Amino acid sequence: MHRRFLTFALATLTAATLTACTAGTESAPALGSQPRPSGSASAALPASTIELWHGFSAPAEVKAFEDAIAGFRTKFPQITVKLVKGVQDDQITQAVRGGKAPDVASSFTTDNVAQWCRSGTFQDLTQVIKQDGIDLSVLPEVSRSYTEYEGRRCVMPLLADAYGLYYNKALMKGEQPPRTLSELTALTKKLTVRDADGTIKVAGFMPSFQYYENTASHLAPMVGATWYKPDGTSAVGSDPAWKELLRWQKELVDWFGYDKLEKFRKSLGQEWSADHPFYKGKIAMVLDGEWRNAMLANEAKDVDYGTAPLPVSDAKPDLYGGGFTAGTVIGVPKGAKNPQAAWELVKYLTTDTSALVTLSNALRNVPTTKASLESPDLVKDANFQTFLDIFAHPKTITIPASVNSTFNQDSLQEFMVRWEKGSVTDLDAGLAAVDKRFDDKLKLSGG
Amino acid sequence: MTALTTPATPATAAARPARAPARGPRGRAVLYWIATHALAVALSLMFVGPLVFVALTAVMTNDQALTGDLWPRTWNWSNFADVFAKSHLLAWVGNTFLYAGLGTAFMLLSSIPVAYAMARFRFRGRKLAFLAVITMMMLPPQVVAVPVYLIWARLDLTGTLWPLILPMLFGDAFSIFLLRQFLVTIPREYTEAAKVDGCSDFRTLVKVILPMARPAIAAVGLFQFFYCWNDYYGPLLYAQTNEANWTLSLGLASFRALHSVQWNLTMAATLLVMAPVIIVFFFAQRVFIEGVTLTGVKG
Amino acid sequence: MSTVHAAPPRWRRGEGLKALLWMSPWLVGFAVFFAYPLAATVYFSFYRYDLFTLEFVGLDNYRYFLVDDRAWVSIKNTLWLVALMVPAQVLFGLGVAWLLTRLKSGVGFFRTVFYLPSLIPVVAGTVSFVFLLNPSGPLNQFLEFVGIAAPDWFGDKDWSKPGLTMLAMWGIGNTMMIFLAALLDVPKHLYEAAAIDGAGAWRQFRSITLPTISPVLMFSTVTGVIYALQYFTQAMIASRVAAGVTDSPGTAFVPGYPELSTLTLAQWLFHVGFRDFSMGYACVLALLLFAFSTVFTLILLRRFRAFDEGGDR
Repeated sequence: MHRRFLTFALATLTAATLTACTAGTESAPALGSQPRPSGSASAALPASTIELWHGFSAPAEVKAFEDAIAGFRTKFPQITVKLVKGVQDDQITQAVRGGKAPDVASSFTTDNVAQWCRSGTFQDLTQVIKQDGIDLSVLPEVSRSYTEYEGRRCVMPLLADAYGLYYNKALMKGEQPPRTLSELTALTKKLTVRDADGTIKVAGFMPSFQYYENTASHLAPMVGATWYKPDGTSAVGSDPAWKELLRWQKELVDWFGYDKLEKFRKSLGQEWSADHPFYKGKIAMVLDGEWRNAMLANEAKDVDYGTAPLPVSDAKPDLYGGGFTAGTVIGVPKGAKNPQAAWELVKYLTTDTSALVTLSNALRNVPTTKASLESPDLVKDANFQTFLDIFAHPKTITIPASVNSTFNQDSLQEFMVRWEKGSVTDLDAGLAAVDKRFDDKLKLSGG
Repeated sequence: MTALTTPATPATAAARPARAPARGPRGRAVLYWIATHALAVALSLMFVGPLVFVALTAVMTNDQALTGDLWPRTWNWSNFADVFAKSHLLAWVGNTFLYAGLGTAFMLLSSIPVAYAMARFRFRGRKLAFLAVITMMMLPPQVVAVPVYLIWARLDLTGTLWPLILPMLFGDAFSIFLLRQFLVTIPREYTEAAKVDGCSDFRTLVKVILPMARPAIAAVGLFQFFYCWNDYYGPLLYAQTNEANWTLSLGLASFRALHSVQWNLTMAATLLVMAPVIIVFFFAQRVFIEGVTLTGVKG
Repeated sequence: MSTVHAAPPRWRRGEGLKALLWMSPWLVGFAVFFAYPLAATVYFSFYRYDLFTLEFVGLDNYRYFLVDDRAWVSIKNTLWLVALMVPAQVLFGLGVAWLLTRLKSGVGFFRTVFYLPSLIPVVAGTVSFVFLLNPSGPLNQFLEFVGIAAPDWFGDKDWSKPGLTMLAMWGIGNTMMIFLAALLDVPKHLYEAAAIDGAGAWRQFRSITLPTISPVLMFSTVTGVIYALQYFTQAMIASRVAAGVTDSPGTAFVPGYPELSTLTLAQWLFHVGFRDFSMGYACVLALLLFAFSTVFTLILLRRFRAFDEGGDR
């Protein structure tokens, strides 16, 4: 009785088997392949429905996105925008490769930009940017750098994150925030409160690499450490700045005692909860992103805090004022059903001042264009301004796009955790091994 | 485990397999009874303890959930309503039913004839076929994951549960294996008699074999249903990109991620996922136990 | 297959064709979901393939395997599970079944209770277990109460696999049930005879019980090993739940938290293939997994060969 269906299924599966080598649909129109419709864009675009995937999931964030889109809807009434929230990178990549791409997709991280640009997961925007006469110099150099790979600009920066130092004024004992690593060390020792047996009650600063935002990429600007040589291979072993960072960190870890520090770390409240150790007065100074301002306002109004750029290497005082930045990126995936309408939406969200300001005011992330940074509508106080300044600072760096995606950060992080634990005897050999891992993987990825 | 090395005289244990004539002092028998039952009670606490703990945490406030308290200070039944409000639990249940229900139905339709053919028909290569079934059954699904994924991507079915359901139309090795094991134990005389009466093979299967094989079919069906119900790997591979097609397993895993600090709600959701399984088990205990026994003992 | 050729001549013609017809759905399944993918896996292992571009790279993927220390860590972890978790599971299952045969009353009740956890959905059970074993959870409170320094289980690289082993022992139901049936199958008169000869419990177990249940013991061990080779869900969920904060949207998650201690071969294959989309290299790992499982399948097949003669009435 099922023979007919079976025959059908058999036929389709056989067909699939024979042609399985090249998955992914080729039928959808590519962006910029046709000449641009003449006349004003709003009138020329046909009516369509486009789907946008984004990573925000909290109700307030989702609403902020809706608000930012409102302007687009007035401008293009014939285009219906459908928002899908809480999407992760994995899902985007897999959907595009499985031929189920949305029209627009955005990601919280820049980690996959290289892979996305190179593999064509996201479409190259270079041509339409030229067609539409968009001046990319409205974006800071650093934001331009994390949204392209090997000359292919496949995403645009939507909002950015900048990282700096938060300090709890009540715990600072009247001290000013440190400007150099040696000042940070001295102040940490001064502000730390310990029991007679060494149990940490309050830490001046958490040096542990396993502590929430203390990742290699966020800490690198403190010493001006570089990730890659110009040819894309690893610079971790050859750049002495990494060694400076690691040695400075290890000295401070040893002052606390690794076991004591670990016990303290594990006793701390979760990063995204109201029990965050900074709120609870457990740590005087923390490295964190600009979004912590908004969280402090929501979850810990009583904490009297200040913000500053991260302290930097004593030997490189010119680094002070910069920091780490990366951000949300947005683009048009391969296989988008309405690429032209999708591009209009991407263009609107990433270049329209009022859209960016609306999003920034609601999400408390750094807006990415110069006009939006200077907009009078942008709500800011001294603490938020610190991060706007860090973002615009010439010494601010990001982690350059690499086809290894997060592999390199994970590998270095793994090494750093072994280092702080004291299981690394030969630092040079250890970093050389990290180099090799980066480069081996790069070869596998065909970079 | 300690019981294994207890040098108790077997005679005192008038347990089922070793009902040896009573011997030795009566006091030791009582002690033995106490020892074995105490151990059984202790084990029961270990087996059921986690479930009780989950249930109790599920009705705590969020603040209390992480304190390690065992007993809720207040009984927050509204946690369960919160779970429904904050997640698409009903949609997940629906998808899970679709996967498990269709998967089981398709599996039975396709596997029973195969198992019957392997158990009854005489043909060259039947042993080879049976070896192939065992090999397929033993193959970790990850081994062929890449090419199989490509097939479904080509058919534009990734992002749905169909890549997990449709293969069930082509027989499931584990089920064929179990059914075949059961069917070979049915004496040939029954089928021969039906043939003499002029029954076709199909009629023989439906009229004679199926009624006799009911326990095995029920067990295989239940296994398949539970396998699908609990499956995480399959939906993760195919349906993760599309939240509309999430199953309970996927949903529960992400529920934990999205509500990372609300352990009380996580436990309430966990309990809601467990509950149907526990209820079904109490109604179908016999079928399960017979089925499990079928898997390993015939040797 | 000599037995096939030596079959009695009363085998009628036509059954072969009929069998082919009846088995056709499965034969298609075998070809499409087993034979072809296996061949394709070998093919792709010589290519760099990210679902968009296919490029022949010779043995590069195999060479990378040699330097991929995460692959080796995952193999080591998987073998740990095979060597320690599987025996723990089998022995515990046997022990619990044995205890059930020694009980004079309440057997049905205890059997139900012991079996129940094995039915709990894996994701739900794992989430519960990680919570149960959290540093301030009931188990650690109990351990501290009796004066044992409690480990941080799923947060400590040395204790995460023992934690998973405990989870596996909790869901021992099926193994236990198989052993129970086998133990009850042991002819009672053998025990009676041994008791008359004055054999103690241990000697009875060794000389009567063990030989009788050894096929079942073998079956449980081999299936346990095969299962351990594809160990995925529990390790993945446990590491995700224990890592907690790293699992927010937009954050890439490397499986194996803490410190890769729960990274299994199956997980690494999944990560490489469907998160990194290094599908060619994933195929190398797949072939390795295939080699491991084949060795154990062959062991099992040898046993079934013997059994099949008996089943062919």
